[in-house]
Order: sequence, then C-alpha cells, then structure tokens
Amino acid sequence: MIELTTPFSEEAISQLNVGDVVSISGYIYTGRDAVLPKIIKAGEEGKLAEKGIDLQGAVIFHTAVSPAGVGPTSSNKVEIESSFEPLSKLGVKMHLGKGAISKETVKKLSENNAVFAVIPPVTALLESQTVEREIVAYPELGMEAMNRLKVVKYQAIIGAAKGRSIYD
Amino acid sequence: MISIQEKVADCLVRAGSSFREDQKEVYRKAIANEEIESSCWVLKQVLDNALVAEKRRSPLCDDTGIPHLFLEIGKSRSVSGELLEQIKEGVVLGLRQLPGRPMAIKGDDYARIDQSGGLDEDSGALVPSPILIKPVDEDVLRLTILMLGGGPAIRGITQRVFHKHSVDVVVDEIVNRAIPAVSQLGCSPCTLAVGIGRSQFEATSLMMEAMAKGDFGVQSDFEKRITRKVNESNIGPLGLGGKHSVLATFAKIGPQRASGVRIVALRPCCCFEPRRASVEL
Repeated sequence: MIELTTPFSEEAISQLNVGDVVSISGYIYTGRDAVLPKIIKAGEEGKLAEKGIDLQGAVIFHTAVSPAGVGPTSSNKVEIESSFEPLSKLGVKMHLGKGAISKETVKKLSENNAVFAVIPPVTALLESQTVEREIVAYPELGMEAMNRLKVVKYQAIIGAAKGRSIYD
Repeated sequence: MISIQEKVADCLVRAGSSFREDQKEVYRKAIANEEIESSCWVLKQVLDNALVAEKRRSPLCDDTGIPHLFLEIGKSRSVSGELLEQIKEGVVLGLRQLPGRPMAIKGDDYARIDQSGGLDEDSGALVPSPILIKPVDEDVLRLTILMLGGGPAIRGITQRVFHKHSVDVVVDEIVNRAIPAVSQLGCSPCTLAVGIGRSQFEATSLMMEAMAKGDFGVQSDFEKRITRKVNESNIGPLGLGGKHSVLATFAKIGPQRASGVRIVALRPCCCFEPRRASVEL
C-alpha cells in the first residue's frame, strides 16, 4: 500500500505503476459529466483562483455528492474522459473513477505525468473515510456541483500510468 | 406495537444497507479462491463496505436504487387498499431514513423524460415501481423490497430467443448477452438475474421473482452452467480480470408458449445486488 497525501508532487506520481494500491488522504475535488466541462472552461480562462479552486497536484473524483454519499461513476463517459487531458494540463495529477479508458487517454495522461486510479463503489466505506465536504463551485448543479472533500485513506488501484493500462 | 409503515421503512433500510448471510458467504469464498491480487482486493473492499454499511445502517452504494416491491400472499390473507397505502407511506419513510439519493424527476411527461423540471430534493419523493403480487401456499403476508440501481438497468436486456428445441441454445444466448453486459457494467462481480416466460411482462416478472427469492448457496444446474460459462470470460471484479465476473445466477423458468420462441429477461445485478430485504406484515 502506497500512502499519498494531496497535493501530489510530480515525483510521487512518477513513481506510480499500474496495479499499485494507493491510500489517498487530504483534500480532493469531485466532478462528473455536468461540471467538468465548466471547470475546464474556467481554467482556460484563468478563473479558477477566483472560485477558490487550486488544481496543482489535485485529485478529481468522478462522483456526485448527495445525502446518500459518494461513489464513482463510469469515467469513460464522453464528458468525463475528455476532461482527462485538459485537466491534467491544468495541474490535476490523479483522475479517480472506474471503467476502462481509451489507449489515447492513457497516452495523454502519461504525457502529462498524471494517472487514472480505479476506486470500487464502496459508498459506506468512503463515507466513513470522508471527514469534511463543501461545495466550491456551481452549486446550481445540485449533487453534480464541484465539491471539496477531506478524505482519510481512500483506497484505490492505479488503472493507468506511464502509458500502460490495467485493462490491457 | 410497530406500525406497518415502520416495518416497511426498516425493511427498506435493511435492503439498501446490508448483505444477507448467503451473500457474505459467497464473497468470503470468492476472496479465498481469487488468484489475481487486484481482483481479490476489490472483493475484500466490497465485503468490508457491506460490513460497514450494516453497522452504520447507511447506503451500500450512492446509487441507492429505485424501490421495487414483491408481495407474497397466503390463501387466508388479504390485501386492502389501506394496506397498500401504508406500504407506500413506509417506503417514503424508509427512503428518508436510509437516506436514498434524491433522484425523483419533477414535472410533466415531457419534463420527466428530458429532466428539464429538475430533481426533487426529498429522498422520499422517489415513487416505487408497481407492486408485484404472488400467491403462495404459506400462511403469510410477506413484503420483499428490492433496491434496483441504474447501471444494471442500462445493461439489462429483455428479448426473444429462438430455442430450436434445445436448452443449450437458450443457455448460450443468455451467456452471449451476459458477457458484454457484465463487461460494460463495470461494477462486477455480478449476479445474473434471469426470467424466462411467454411475454416481456411475464419474463420480467419472473426475473423479479428470481431476484426476490434467489439464494447464493442454492444453485440449480441451469444456474451453475450460466455462471460457469460467463466466468470463462475472465472479466473479473471491476473488469480487472479473474475468476469472479459473476458470483451466481438467479433464474426463474415459468410456463412456456407452444412455439419456437422463449422470452428471456436478463439483468446483470451489480456487486451489491440483489439489494433486498423481507418483512412479514
């Protein structure tokens, strides 16, 4: 088990390999279909700081946040998978979700020293490991708004790194 | 005295937050037998999650599912409109207690289709599916609540099979449909729910009954054949490979039509399903 605390350094990410089980602690962001395109647009317009968002070394967890808790949605949905490259360019180091992603996306992650990690849909466990949550952007999207979570020891497995995929 | 509403609410919370003993046992066996390390880790995570959810009475998955109701009625029992109303009230109460994900779509026919009316913030606003009623020989009035998630609903298939007077043909077609469904679902290991009947309605009703009554520890030859063949696909937990793409098959074969066709309903239940609990009313 590799212990990681956010924000992640370039060096910490460069040492990860497909199949490594990692334990993630610290602040992470959430986002899925509805909000990720808006985050990318805000990032490209240089407006993330005014929203209180810092993506350097960040984790984006592909989940809704509702009273029922959190849990990964499929990361290969068009709006989500297409966010991997632009968000990595904006500083995101780990995209956290589930499902096989394309070879092209695996390559783009590698070019930006970023990884995809697969997290099981274990809502009750994750709820017991989430100590803070707050909406940071686009509250009008309800449970699909961007949230910042403080998490303790979320377990995930590295699904894509250094141009390789666990689904190959 | 506990009211009908409270009994139903408790049943719904149990359905959404706990594994039955046969379900825990099938995971323990899978963990002991899985050879791929990462897949074994997934299986352990799913079982740990179930234990934590049961202790906290909190949702197994953030897609808490749509309540589906299966009511068994003995010959000497009766169901009144008042009882059905009390069951409905109990479902509302249970959804608020779990809590269910607030995902009731507001608005008229068009707004409910395109979701333009937005979501109701009340977990209890989620209307359950129509009740399936089954006469039984026992002297009982038993309600089973199943919480059915969206992923398996997307990948489920109800379609005819031309059987060519061969069980093998039907089994092979179920397997051919199940493998891509399990692969695309993502949240494996699955339990395959299968109903075989004379119409789409009957096949789906039989599939519901299979989910309501199936036991991981009791598998027919027909169910074992499907499970074994799908597991040869090596999809594995979360698609990471391994021997456990499917933990079991729950099949219910009903009366059949004198023709060359069988209607087969198939649902690749996710790693937490069938999420179900029963209560005697």
